[in-house]
Formats: sequence, C-alpha cells, structure tokens
Amino acid sequence: MEGFVYALFIVVLVVNALMGIYGIVFRRSLVKKLISLTILSDTVFVAIILVGFVFKHPVVPPVYSGVEGEEKFLLEHASDPLPQALVLTGIVIGLAVNALIAFGIIQIYRLTGTTDAKKAIRVLVEEVMEE
Amino acid sequence: MKAVSKRVVVLLSLLAVVVSTALAVSLVARLEAPASIRDLGKYYIANTRRDTSSPEAVTAIVWDYRGLDTIYETLVLYMAIMGGLAISTIARKVALKTRVGLTSITRTGTRIITLLIATIAFSIALHGHLTPGGGFPGGSALAITAMLIIPVYTLQSLLDYGVTSTRLVATRGLALTGLGLVAILPVIRGLEAVTNLRFYPSHVAGMLISGSLWFYNFFEFLAVASGFAAVALYLSIPEELYREEIERG
Amino acid sequence: MSEVIATLILLTVALLLSVVFVYYTITEKDLLKAAVFSAGQSICYAILLHAMAAPDIAMTYLAVSVGLYSALLVFVISKTERYEA
Repeated sequence: MEGFVYALFIVVLVVNALMGIYGIVFRRSLVKKLISLTILSDTVFVAIILVGFVFKHPVVPPVYSGVEGEEKFLLEHASDPLPQALVLTGIVIGLAVNALIAFGIIQIYRLTGTTDAKKAIRVLVEEVMEE
Repeated sequence: MKAVSKRVVVLLSLLAVVVSTALAVSLVARLEAPASIRDLGKYYIANTRRDTSSPEAVTAIVWDYRGLDTIYETLVLYMAIMGGLAISTIARKVALKTRVGLTSITRTGTRIITLLIATIAFSIALHGHLTPGGGFPGGSALAITAMLIIPVYTLQSLLDYGVTSTRLVATRGLALTGLGLVAILPVIRGLEAVTNLRFYPSHVAGMLISGSLWFYNFFEFLAVASGFAAVALYLSIPEELYREEIERG
Repeated sequence: MSEVIATLILLTVALLLSVVFVYYTITEKDLLKAAVFSAGQSICYAILLHAMAAPDIAMTYLAVSVGLYSALLVFVISKTERYEA
C-alpha cells in the first residue's frame, strides 16, 4: 500500500512538471507562461521535500516541545529539516523573480500593445530596425 | 459543448494513465519507501538545542547553521524588488482622481479580516524560533493585507493615511540595515560575521529568544512586508498615467 | 491502522486533484479562470506538504502562492489582456 502511494507520488510529480514545461514552451501568452513557470517550480519544491519524508505512521515535524525523552522519538519519527530550509529559501527567491517578471510583462504590454510572445518580439525588433 | 467534453475525455484518460503507471511501477519495480532520514538531518535534530538554544530545527538551520545563505537570499529579494520598482516610476507627481471603493458591507468585512490577518502575521513572525513560522510567512501575510485594502478602500485612502511608497521603501531600507547590523556586530569582538550564541544572549529576562534568531525574524518580517506592500502600491497606479508618459516619449 | 489508511487516502486524493487542476490551468483560454485554477493547485500542494510533516513550508507556501500570486496575477491581467490568443 505504501509502495503504491510512493510510486503515485513520483508519477504525479513528473506529470505535473511535464505539463508545466509544455505550458512554458507551447503556449503563446506571456501570462500563461508565467503561470506555468510557477507550476513547474512548485512541483520541484514538493519533490525536494519528498526526499526528506519517512513513510512511518506517526510522522512529526522536527520541533521540540519540551517533553521528557523527546530526542530519541524525534530521531526516529521526524521529517528531515534540511530540505525544508532549502525550500524556504527557494520559495522566497521564486516569489521575488516572479514579481519582477510580472512588472516586465506589464511594461511589454505598454510598449507593444500585445502579450503574445511572437507578436511582441516582432514589434520590438521592427522598432529597433527602424532606427 | 464538443470542446468541453473533449477536454474532459483527455483529462480522464490522463488520470487513468497516471494510476495505471503507478500500479505497474509499484508492482514490477518493488519500490520501497525510505525508512529513515539522512545522517545530516539527524545531526541537526540532535544538536539544535545545544548549539542554538532554539527548539525549532528549521529556523535554526535557516538563520544560524546556514545564516549566510539567508543573508544573500534577502539581498536577492531586495534587488528584484528594486528592479520592479524602477520599471514603474513616473516622472511627475499627479494627484489621483477620486474613485469610489466598494460597498460598505465589503468595507466592514475587510476591516475585520485585515485586523485578524495583521495580528496573526505578527504572531507568526515573532514566534519563529519556538514554533514553525518565522520572518517570511509573517511578512507575506502582512503584505496580503495591503493587497486587500487597495481595491476595497481606494488607493487614495491608503496614501492619505501616510502609507506612501517612499515611506515603505525607507522602512525596507531601515529593516535591511538592522539585519546587516545584527549580522556584522559580532565582528567587533573578533568573531566571524554570523555567529549566534557566542555573542548574543540566549535568554532575556527569563524568556527564550535564542540569541540573534529573534532579531533576524523581526527585521526580515519588516523588510518583506514593506517590500511587497510597495510592490502592491506601484501595481495599482492607474494605466492612464503610464500611457501619457509613453506618449510624451 | 485506520489512521494510516486515512493519511494514505488523503495523499492519493490530493495528488489526483492536483493533476486535474494543473491540466485545467494549462488548457484554459480565459486567463482569470486559469489564475483561479492555479490557486486550487496550490491548495492541493499545501495539503500534501502538511501530510508530509513540513508545517513551516506549508505556512509559507500558502501565504505566498494562494495569497500573493493570485493577487499579483489579477493585477497583471487587469492591466493587460484577459483572453489568451
């Protein structure tokens, strides 16, 4: 039973990542590309945290709560704190870069009047060629 | 109708493929879930109370064991928000035309919800060394209140309260200065830059503050909240001003 | 024993629901609906993160992805076009 859920986890994360990459490459609107980028990065974060998960029954977060003899219990049943710290950094950096991309999309729409990737590039290149 | 049902058919076949692949993989490859975490994780869990006096392993790793990474990540956040704000500045100051906000039912509900969110955001940020939480979730939650207030009450009412973008950017700068000071202060006594317990006290007046972790959480909370509130302010300036700006060249 | 089965069922349901939401996000022409579906996918991932005993990440992920990304996307869509293609 646990083997099936673990395999389902891996297959679902791979399928989500592939759909995110399809959205980035084959969809024309810039906003749809931004949404697909967030889907891809979120899927990668969940995959990283899956590395630090143990499939036992009482899984607890790696936090002490002041009970006697807790260290032995936590060493056996807690999830890994190191991937969680790395993902925390990743989420914040992803948020900052996505906010910058959103500002860039708005500025491209103001300068070219469209959010279609091919048309916007064509308008910008023509403006550069005219000069 | 045909387009809708085509999407549903593709979706159901995708789900069937996913479930059958998982069944096949788990039966054929005898996939076994791991039974224990890695040794480095066990080292962090075993030694976090002694090295950092904080019972929360994740905050201790983020701000103490790997504190330099987090300082650089705050720098990346700062640069990205600066770039975003630089794109959307307007040369001359115009007074925004008065617009009408939403109805009074929405306003009352937003008032209650904003108060609750602000309280919870402070609590999440300041308890970061004892329970899960910390500076980042608290700062993001407080930035959400700014994004809530702007459509319901108008942007002009927020500016009338004194929450202008210049003051938010100044708050952000001060918070980042505080963060840098907390990181660099141990150098006075000859220690390395980001040290925790060898320089800062672990208990103040009987309460556990885990050395510099409380101060890091507080300054990071202020920095993230004011940064994203400034982003929200710049995003809600109406488009006509930018169109005039571009037409004037 | 029943708790183990309850956790496994929660994981399975959240995983399959996330596939549904991602598929609808990618193939939707109305960008506002795509933003709402993306928020739904974030909720499914937050349920997964909670079931994997990572409460720090679940809290940060909820505040960022359901709160800030949805608001950011609505701002961007209101200033640019609503329908793709």
